[in-house]
Amino acid sequence: MVSSLPLSVQLAWLIPLYGFAGVGMSLPWACGWIRRTGPRPAAYMNVLVTLVAFLHGTALLNAVLQHGAYEISLGWFQAADLKLELSFDLSLTNLACLELVAGLSLLAQVFALGYLDKEWSLARFFALVGFFEAAMAGVVLSSSLFLTYFLLEMLTLSTYLLVGFWYGQPLVVTAARDAFLTKRVGDVLLLMGVVALSAFAGVMRFEDLYRWVPQAQLSPLAANLLGLALIAGPLGKCAQFPMHLWLDEAMEGPNPASILRNSVVVTCGALVLLRLMPILQLSPISLDVLIVLGSLTAIGGSLAALAQVDIKRALSYTTSAAMGLVFIAIAEQQPAIALLLLFAHAVAKALLFMSVGSVIATTNCQDLSELGGLARCMPATTVAFLVGAAGSTALAPLGCFWAYGLDVEAMARSSPALAMVVLLANTLTLINFSRVFRCVFLGPRQTKTRRAPEVNWQMALPMVSLTVLVLLTPLIMVKIDPVPGLASFPPQVAWALVASGATGLILGGTVPLYKGWSRSTLKPLRQLQDLLAFDFYTERIYRRTVVALVATLARLAAWFDRQVVNGLVEQLASLSMASAAGLKLTVGGQMQTYVLTAMASIVVLLGSLSWVMR
Amino acid sequence: MLSGLLLIPLLGALILAIWPGDPAPERIRRSGAAVLALQLLWSIRVLVSFDPSAGGMQLEESVPWLGSLGLHYRLGIDGLSLPLVLINGALCLVAVLATEAGILRPRLFFSLILLISGAVNGAFLAQNLLLFFLFYELELVPLWLLIAIWGGNGRARAATKFLLFTAVSGGLILAGFLGLTLATGSADFSLRAISSDDLGLGVQLALLGALLVGFAIKIPLFPFHTWLPDAHTEASTPVSVLLAGVLLKLGTYGLLRFCFGLLPEAWALCAPWLAGWAAVSVLFGSLAAIQQQDMKRMVAYSSVGHMGYVLLAAAAATPVSLLGAEFQMISHGLISALLFLLVGAVYKVTGSRDLRELRGLLNPERGLPLVGSLMIIGVMASAGIPGMSGFMAEFLVFRGSLIAFPWQTLLCMVGSGLTAVYFLLLVNRAFFGRLGATVQLAAIPLQRHLPALALTVAILAIGLFPQGLGLLSETTSTAMAEPSGVLR
Repeated sequence: MVSSLPLSVQLAWLIPLYGFAGVGMSLPWACGWIRRTGPRPAAYMNVLVTLVAFLHGTALLNAVLQHGAYEISLGWFQAADLKLELSFDLSLTNLACLELVAGLSLLAQVFALGYLDKEWSLARFFALVGFFEAAMAGVVLSSSLFLTYFLLEMLTLSTYLLVGFWYGQPLVVTAARDAFLTKRVGDVLLLMGVVALSAFAGVMRFEDLYRWVPQAQLSPLAANLLGLALIAGPLGKCAQFPMHLWLDEAMEGPNPASILRNSVVVTCGALVLLRLMPILQLSPISLDVLIVLGSLTAIGGSLAALAQVDIKRALSYTTSAAMGLVFIAIAEQQPAIALLLLFAHAVAKALLFMSVGSVIATTNCQDLSELGGLARCMPATTVAFLVGAAGSTALAPLGCFWAYGLDVEAMARSSPALAMVVLLANTLTLINFSRVFRCVFLGPRQTKTRRAPEVNWQMALPMVSLTVLVLLTPLIMVKIDPVPGLASFPPQVAWALVASGATGLILGGTVPLYKGWSRSTLKPLRQLQDLLAFDFYTERIYRRTVVALVATLARLAAWFDRQVVNGLVEQLASLSMASAAGLKLTVGGQMQTYVLTAMASIVVLLGSLSWVMR
Repeated sequence: MLSGLLLIPLLGALILAIWPGDPAPERIRRSGAAVLALQLLWSIRVLVSFDPSAGGMQLEESVPWLGSLGLHYRLGIDGLSLPLVLINGALCLVAVLATEAGILRPRLFFSLILLISGAVNGAFLAQNLLLFFLFYELELVPLWLLIAIWGGNGRARAATKFLLFTAVSGGLILAGFLGLTLATGSADFSLRAISSDDLGLGVQLALLGALLVGFAIKIPLFPFHTWLPDAHTEASTPVSVLLAGVLLKLGTYGLLRFCFGLLPEAWALCAPWLAGWAAVSVLFGSLAAIQQQDMKRMVAYSSVGHMGYVLLAAAAATPVSLLGAEFQMISHGLISALLFLLVGAVYKVTGSRDLRELRGLLNPERGLPLVGSLMIIGVMASAGIPGMSGFMAEFLVFRGSLIAFPWQTLLCMVGSGLTAVYFLLLVNRAFFGRLGATVQLAAIPLQRHLPALALTVAILAIGLFPQGLGLLSETTSTAMAEPSGVLR
């Protein structure tokens, strides 16, 4: 590496290692070797390391702003025609994403200090978050598909461990399992794509792959399978239909991890898709699939969110829905808009989850029907919720409004139906947010919300800081995307957005929340509620299809093994066993004699042979 | 120099067996470990003298023996056998260190392990078909005894089953070797003297069939695998470590060295079918593993699945896939050894391996948190999560085989996905969940975990820095993949 590069660039390879360093430093506490101090030193060290990562990212950003993008590449493995490199692309976009990851991770970790205050396994939590953050930091900077896959899998592993953090609870165990297996399905499909690309193209860096695409000679079937395999990974990571189940269940994990999962982890998945976009040109079908699944998730997720009684689940479905919109934008070749959507959504959703985390920490309750009246006693949390909700939907003038505006305008030009999907998803999400807001913050206080003081400073500080940041997102977005200008969409689009938002607010604000209605006595209505509450019975469908298939095959294999394969063997063996029974060689005590005899006879045999043959 | 790898363990076994007096069991264990440590150091010495960039056999040693029989004592080492020799040294040492101090008849036990270690080294180094066969058979008897004496309740049956299967395997291999030598008209059984180029395809196929089935029993591949779960279930922990980590590799080694190496023409003809067989074996092993309730049986069936990748890689026979086969052998050796150690630790403390009974072992205060954490690493490595050796092995195998056999490779990748299913069941059932309120499991002292920790470090090291192993084997695997340069 040339020594004239700024120090921050020379040391850029450290960025993903910061998180891992945090893991290493937490181990003595996480493993229980140091007990005297309690687990907090591990937490402080992780926060510090993340801060260093954030500052290093800032220095890099400055260097890149002055000198332009850099690329660093380290040889990792080479054999025959296979060459694998760990390469990082220090472009402005990637570094902005890195700052987003490191910044939100920092805030979430400070938040976790307060949220998990009395948690025994605090050190383990922070070690896992360090692992999580390291993998994400690597993913956003990676410029090689191999490295991206490598880190995405680490992300899957750390998600499993974070969701399973409270592994003593049965629901957590199933949630961790589902999170891992759903993502793993996506990952294995993605691995098929990665392996195929590596074999066909022979290169793994994104830039090289883009150059390969125009001259690729693949049969249409191979190209389409490749495209579908490649999108499967991001579909799983971003909890898109039909692999959306895990995100909702993952809400059983600790809230600070949910903050990251709903903001930056899904963003990482979408960024990977964004990088794959030029390769997907090979397979038009995969783009169509993206649009269909994205639209289904956007509408379906928003609808399912409406029927959830768990406060975290009510929000997590909207994350899937928002990612659906991003997928549509990517499939429609609008990378800049997709990035804006991702950024605006990530900060606002993180804030929403902090606010919800505060509610849960204070009331020890996450059931919407048992909450109420918190607005009067938790002002910072209430403001955070309002700002987060406004920021993650098209409510002027916060971030998503501008991103949605550009999005709707672009969609209206290519296919108006997709513009309608965006508007409809926006309306439904706002109905949901207003409903949740009314349930939690308005109305009379209930048993669990009677004594609900505002949260402690470790939680309040990141929450308030992020509130300010969300309020400032439009300004940041102007800096990120000066061309064609944030407000370049026509007034009709703006009005359409305002109308969709207002409809959502009015419907959500007026729909009766009478408790008796939480499960209606009218059969059709109840069926609709159940359909949405159980997420279109996706879990049941899975259990009856994929799970049942694998289980049946497994039973069949085990039966075949026992009865047919082993049965034949036993039949054959029973003959020789019968003849061997007379010998009774396995009676204990004669063993050593037997060994000696056997060994001696071998020696004698060989010796005599060599003597005779001489 | 290579003879040292045989002499050290074999002499050690002899001395340990006939040493006068009645030394304390712990002293015998230490002596055994010392011999194996010396053997490991010796194999590291071989590693240092080995030139990875040179092709062909290195450090050859040759002593005429039974000239009229065509049996010569000839040893040599290349990039295929060197890593296996190293892992044999390491895992035998791990097995001895993981043996309980108060084991029954320690003198016999440790002598037999040393005997196995020497025999396995001999098989990996032998450059003469008959010599290989002798060592291959030599390792059977000690292993049979290790299962039959120190096994569980059904040990007699499992040991007999093992012996019958491997006797058939040995018979087929011997028949194949004899047939090959006779058919080629070679004067001796030297590996380098035999060339099947002039043989008719029918003869080649018949010989390949015999050798294939012989080695498939040892590997084991579906449908010749039923001895393995029984043997593992009844064997004690150190024996399982040896069996899975080292002895199964004799089968895959034979597959690469003799089936593919000596009969390349017939091999190429059968390759698509072999790849299909690999896919069936992988899927069958993985699916059967899902149904298992005994943790040891589950790990045993996972071996059936994971060894299938080696057959796939050998069938594809590209430089990358063959390198992947080497990685897979080493990686599977380390990972399955680790998993058996951990299952053994759980069994020792709880008295059970049944997934229907075990719960909440990860409990930090009253459970086995370190065993649980290492188990999570082990199963994730087995499932092919990057950063650990399993991923690199699978990636190389799949990358090398995809173009040659796309559908078979994709099916094997599905099997790789299924690994996550059954091992997640294992972790979720046995380690997650709530430990019974009154259960207080005996803590395992840290030094008892050292073998498992060392294996974990090795798994991570290969996963993060695979280039070392790659360099060691690349020349050999590339040479093997070239049609004309097979193993010459």
